[in-house]
Amino acid sequence: MEKKDSGLNRRNFLKSGLVATGALALAGAGAFMLDRNTVQARVRPDFLRPPGAINEKDFIYGCIKCGLCVQICPVQAIKLAKAGEGVAFGTPYINPRIQACDFSCDALQCVETCPTAVLNFKPFKEAGLAAVEKATQEAGADFAKVNPFEVQKVAMKQIVRMGKARVNTETCLAHHGLGFKGVSRGTDFRGIYRAPESANASASPLAEKQFDREVCNLCITECPIGPKAIVQEPSRSNGNLVPKVLDGCTGCGVCVMVCPTRETSIIVEPS
Amino acid sequence: MLNDYFSSGKNKEPLKPKSKDELPHSLLGISYTEWRDAKKKNHKWRNIRWGFLLFMNLLFVVSFTFDLSVLEGSLSGSRLIGFYLMDPFNALQLLAISSTTGYIGHLTMNFWIGLITILLFWFIFGGRGYCSWMCPYHFLSELAEKVHLYLVKKKKIRERTYNIGLKLVFFIGFLLLAVLTRNLVFEDLNMVGIVSKAMIYGPSLLLLWVLAMLLFEAFVSRRFWCRYVCPIGTTWSFVGKLSPVAIKFEHDKCGYCLECQKVCLVPHELWFVQRGKATQDVHFVGSDCTRCGLCVDVCPGNALNYAVKGASALV
Repeated sequence: MEKKDSGLNRRNFLKSGLVATGALALAGAGAFMLDRNTVQARVRPDFLRPPGAINEKDFIYGCIKCGLCVQICPVQAIKLAKAGEGVAFGTPYINPRIQACDFSCDALQCVETCPTAVLNFKPFKEAGLAAVEKATQEAGADFAKVNPFEVQKVAMKQIVRMGKARVNTETCLAHHGLGFKGVSRGTDFRGIYRAPESANASASPLAEKQFDREVCNLCITECPIGPKAIVQEPSRSNGNLVPKVLDGCTGCGVCVMVCPTRETSIIVEPS
Repeated sequence: MLNDYFSSGKNKEPLKPKSKDELPHSLLGISYTEWRDAKKKNHKWRNIRWGFLLFMNLLFVVSFTFDLSVLEGSLSGSRLIGFYLMDPFNALQLLAISSTTGYIGHLTMNFWIGLITILLFWFIFGGRGYCSWMCPYHFLSELAEKVHLYLVKKKKIRERTYNIGLKLVFFIGFLLLAVLTRNLVFEDLNMVGIVSKAMIYGPSLLLLWVLAMLLFEAFVSRRFWCRYVCPIGTTWSFVGKLSPVAIKFEHDKCGYCLECQKVCLVPHELWFVQRGKATQDVHFVGSDCTRCGLCVDVCPGNALNYAVKGASALV
């Protein structure tokens, strides 16, 4: 009796084990396809990995999809990808046209909070410390006047490389010699940022800000990095004053968020 | 004494079953059915557990919604007042992949501390205690189970059970898949993560997968996911193998009614409640036990209780 029972059990186990293995194989094939598609889908303007993201191949498995970076971001720029959004489900991304990373957290908190270091804080920490050391040395006897926090945060944000901005010369207002007056994205736009001239520590709504520019230069004046990233210069074709993106661009996407044309005339190409 | 702590007593000679006069209802002088049904409506531990589970899961939600920084993240990885906590199977997959790619050295100290903290915590409170006291899918699954049991009672469906060893196939399979595809494959199917993240960050299409599994459990196989599939549960059952907090069984109070096995997620772990199976006067329920307390609630003779293993030896 007992013998027969265990025999049945074994057959039962083998049978359901086979089904289970089949299910696992299916899941594996699905994951493999997803992985391939997402790495390909990665290069698109509405999808940036958060600051400090390591290479996509390691990112895909290294990210445990906990959402800590989402939660710490003060402007809520980071979202977790939902199923059907074309990128690996549950991984964090930024769509700068909706809400750009504006560095108003000051210390790259999303990177610092990441437990698996797929947002890798190490280079930022090193850059920050190196900058403080350099600043104190340069200050010499006045070293006490150096504010290490200020020095550190400037140095850290400057080495972010989420991508690089590129101007669409066909739609860019400046390329047509046009100015801009009013609220850049409409009064019901929800995006927030800390404008370079703002004295506030926190971000404020873009919708509350009135612009009046003879030649549109919002992407230049609102850039949190400044002249190292984007400058205004005469266009080669017609001499209009147009934006020019430099190598200091961090790909934060504030220019994408503030661009007043219906479709953004500046996009960030992921690095 | 130490030997008692580690051994289940399964391969010992069974004790002699109690005679009719020795059974608890006879000792009390009441009828068997009266004795058996006395605690049918007792839900003390279930209510405490549901309260805790809902509180903790809502704490995640409230913490994010109102920016409270109390319990940040999700059940895949979180921070409790600044202390990191990691999901162990998620971590296991990550460790398996990253030891082949060399990424393992990049993992932060917070990751290691978080992993060790949570393992220690649930080692003390009984491995799969996580399942019944924290997992939001477990809660939903308990509701689906009610539907299932109703349908079985009305003879609309037939009970289907599978071999419990299946969960090892899934455990190893998902780990292999992770290494082969270099992707946290299980995380995309993970009921715990999907439900937890849907609550915190808003619903996603993957809730359909959760719904499909709940329907399968309601209409086909009782508690299918938790019993046979979930590798997180299997990981916790390894962790809880030698946990001090466990359900204690006392043979002298048992009336062989098997009410406990009827409510149990893992009835094979209650093997000693059947007449003539117990080998010791005291047994502790094995590592698949989720410490949910349903058996404690239902046991008419109070033969099953929460206990700290080895406590009597210390005292």
